This record gives sequence, structure tokens and C-alpha cells, in this order.
Amino acid sequence: MDFQGILDRLVAIRAPGLVKSDEPRKADPKDKKDKGRAGDPFVIVEARELAEFVRACRDDDRLHFEQLVDLTATDPSKDAAELWINVQLLSLKFRHRLAIKAFLPKNAASMPSLVPVYRASQWHERECGEMFGIRFEGHPDPRNILLPDDWAGYPLRKDYEFPKEYHGISCE
Amino acid sequence: MANEVTKTMPPSTRLRRTDASEVTVDIRTPDLEINFGPQHPATHGVMRVLMRTDGELVTGAQPHLGYLHRCAEKIGENVEWLQYLPYTDRYDYLASMNNNLGYSLAVEALLGVEIPRRATLIRIICAELNRIGSHLVAFGTYGLDIGAFTPFLYCFREREWMMSLFEKICGARLTYSYIRIGGVFNDAPPGWFEEVARFCDVFEQKWPEYVDLLLVNQIYVKRTANVGVISREMALDFGLSGTMVRGSGIDWDLRRDMPYMCYGEIWRDGAYKIPVAKGEMGTLGDCWDRSWVRVMEMMESIKIVRWCLDHMVDGPVIGELPKTLKVPAGEAYVGIENPRGELGHYVVSDGGKVSVRTRVRGPSFCNLAVLEDILPGSLVGDAVAIIGSTDIVVGETDR
Repeated sequence: MDFQGILDRLVAIRAPGLVKSDEPRKADPKDKKDKGRAGDPFVIVEARELAEFVRACRDDDRLHFEQLVDLTATDPSKDAAELWINVQLLSLKFRHRLAIKAFLPKNAASMPSLVPVYRASQWHERECGEMFGIRFEGHPDPRNILLPDDWAGYPLRKDYEFPKEYHGISCE
Repeated sequence: MANEVTKTMPPSTRLRRTDASEVTVDIRTPDLEINFGPQHPATHGVMRVLMRTDGELVTGAQPHLGYLHRCAEKIGENVEWLQYLPYTDRYDYLASMNNNLGYSLAVEALLGVEIPRRATLIRIICAELNRIGSHLVAFGTYGLDIGAFTPFLYCFREREWMMSLFEKICGARLTYSYIRIGGVFNDAPPGWFEEVARFCDVFEQKWPEYVDLLLVNQIYVKRTANVGVISREMALDFGLSGTMVRGSGIDWDLRRDMPYMCYGEIWRDGAYKIPVAKGEMGTLGDCWDRSWVRVMEMMESIKIVRWCLDHMVDGPVIGELPKTLKVPAGEAYVGIENPRGELGHYVVSDGGKVSVRTRVRGPSFCNLAVLEDILPGSLVGDAVAIIGSTDIVVGETDR
């Protein structure tokens, strides 16, 4: 199924939390500030409803997204008030993908965990937790995965300041 | 200290002795926690698996990563698009060509640049040769893990030639940075394609040796069959990919099912097949099935290389790109079939010279997550066989 087909189906099954879709477009020649957008189309979903949304995607027999390929976050800029959550779903049966984006406020970055739906998200959520400071409610094991347990700050946030020393090791 | 960490482990479900009254002859012993790694040859890098054992039985396992963490994703936000390419070499250092390719394709998805046909074919040749090399290491060192030394030397004999082929085309033996955004770095030197063809012929003759020496060897089969079984459902739930899903009997390969470059065309020509495990030696999804898939895939890669050599065209090897690359604003996710599974790059650009986000979805990272579930219930001796069969490269799990 192509993106439009998936979107129509999502609307038809009233997938919870679906806000809108965002498709690549060419720049408007009249508006000099408009740069257009390249890349893949994606759907925007309410962060609080994301777990239920992917559950609907997995269980629907015409979407059939058996796999969660990737879950990550993005900090678009230093001044941005919101982080993005980016999820990639894959259907092996119908050979299609779906990119999902959700927004989380930086100062209250917390959302329900996707682990009850896909166990694949377990390690991805741990990584998002340590790198972006996102709390996944109901995660079975929310420890750091790549960083040491006592690491301060969230390295992939744009306002992260590089440490000057770590346990007596100078980093300058 | 170790006790502190295992508190977070899920309680064991397969303890043989649950009640003290059952113990009559044997002395009841407490569960023992052992660290497998971080400095252990069978972890293929620096990784630690904390195992809780009850005698010879593993009752809980917890991988600890991060010893090789080099912040690849953060570096991606601080260097220019082209400058990031050498860093891609360093996550899965056994398949650097494939990593270069994955990143290049992701950036090209935003750029919309046209890749010359000759560059595409050279890319496929390099990616497939590198896949053979990667599977040779996976298969050879797997034998080494479970006690067979000789096949490892056989595997490295062929891999040596593959690496000298890469040395001829780009000057490096391990970290190539050869596949660039827009095409490849330079054209193949004179006589290179002929040598690749010779390599294919020789490899085809040598390949049965691996099967005879190790794959169908009774000792090897006894060590790997019915060990570390990953069911179909588990493979899907954990987001496994590549040889791990094919080893569990799922017919899925991104090269055929979501074709990129001209893999779709090669498939339509009937040049290659996708080997899918059938559980010949034991249960479907065991360690033997996964190594079988890898051995079979080497021959399929040879066929793809041959197809590209037959269809080689003349022309430029890199598209027209400015020296300082500015990538149009947008975001794209591109997943390709790496030797270890789906290598995904999610890139976000705001139209500038530096990326906003470079996300790497490493297949080893996702494949490793399944260890927590398949290790409990196995014997300590089999733990090495199970970890080896997931074929992880720690450079990629930690990035």
C-alpha cells in the first residue's frame, strides 16, 4: 500500500490520536522564505495516544504492521519548545512502511511506553530516555543503556553542554 | 555490587529447584552471578552479559552495553554531511561499504540527485563483496567460539583476497569511505573487474569446504541445533531483521521486498534467491539455522556480483554535486539490508550544511535485545553458542 492508501485506512479505522499527515512538497516560488520539504511523508500523532495508535496499526488486518523498526527522538533546535518522537513501522506482509511523528514538550517530556505493543521498543526507549530525558510511563526497565548510570544531562538535546570533567578525567 | 544490578532482572521462571524440601542428596546452592565479558573473545568486542546461574543452567541474563559508545549520532549533528561519512565506517567495521551505502542513500533521498548507472553497479559489487567478507567473519569466528579453530583460518583466507580487492579500489582495508554521497569515490583501476570475476570463480570452488568442514560437521550440529531457538513471533516482536528473521523461517529481505538501487531488477532477472531456514537439523530458528542462512547467502552474493559484472556500463561514477553540500530541508528514513539486518538512517535537515539529526538504527542493537529472552533456560556452555549466533558487532550496538 502506498502512503495515501495507508492514510485512508487509518482514517477509516479511526486510529486513535491521528492528527494529520505531512507530505513532501516543492518550494513555493512566490514565497522566498518557503524552502519546501524533501524526503518521506509521515503522519503526526498525539504523543499520549501513540501506544494505542501503533496498537491499531499492528492489529488492523489491512495495515498489518508487525514490526517496530525504529523509535527515536529529535531535538529540532535549541529554542524549540518540543521534542519529536519518530517511529518507523514496517509490514512484512504488505511490504510497506509508515513513519510516525509525535510532539512532546521539552519541560514535561513524558509519554506512555510502547513496550506492551512491541517489545522491540524496549531498548530504543531506554536510549531515548538517557539521550533526551524522555520518561516512558510503564517501561519495565528504564535504566541507561549506552551511557554510565551517573551521566549528567541529556547529550542529544541541542542545549547540552559538554562536561569539563568526568570522575577526575579532564575532557578539555 | 552484582546483586544490586540483578535486582532489575525479571524473576526466573525456569528454576529447577523451587523448594528447599526437594533437595535431598544435592547441597542446595545459591544462585551464582557471573559476568560474561566485558573482555571475553566470544563477545566479539567489549560487551558484558551478566548471567544468573543455577548450577549449569542460566536463569537470567542481562546485556550491558556502552563500552564502545562513541556518540556517533551527536557527531552527526556537529560535522558537515560529507564529513560524517568516515564515522559510518566505524559502527559496523566488518561491513563498512554497506554502512557508507546506507548513509549515502539516506542523504540522497533528501537531495534527489541522480546516481550514474556505473556508480550503482560498482556500489552493489562492493556491498555484496563486503557482505561475503562479513559473513565469513561471522561464520569463522562462530566456529572459533564453540571450539573449531581450522574453519576460521579457511574463512580468513578468502576474506584476505576480498580485502585486497578493496585496497585496490580505494586504498583502505577496513574503513573504506568509498561509497560517497552521489556515487563512489573513484573508478575501478584497470583489471579490477576481471580480478573480481576471478575471485567469484575461486570462491565458488572454496565454498563447499565451509559446508563440509563446519556446517554439516556432526560436532557443530550437536552444539548448535535446537539451541537458542527464536520463534517467528519473537523475531517479529523484537524487531529482528536480516539473517535473524530468515533464520526463524520468515521470508524477508529488503533487497527483494523493498528494492533500492537495482536490486529489484536483478531479482526480476532471477539472478539470486533468498535462503530461508527450514529447521533441517532441529527446531526452526535455532543457532544452526542462522549460520546456515549466512553460508547460503555468500553464494547468492556471488551471483549478484556476477550479474553486475555482466551488466557493467561505461560512464561517470559520481553525480554532479557542489563541493560544500547543502541538503534541502526535510527528513527521510532509509533502511538497507546490511549483512546483520536492516541498517536504518533517519536524517533531518533544515537546509543547511550540517544535519539536525542523524539517527542510526543499527541491526546488531536490535538483534541483541532478544538475548534477555533466549538465554534463560539454556546451559552455560550454550550461552557462547547463542551469543555468537546473533552475530553482533559491538561497534554497532554501541555506536
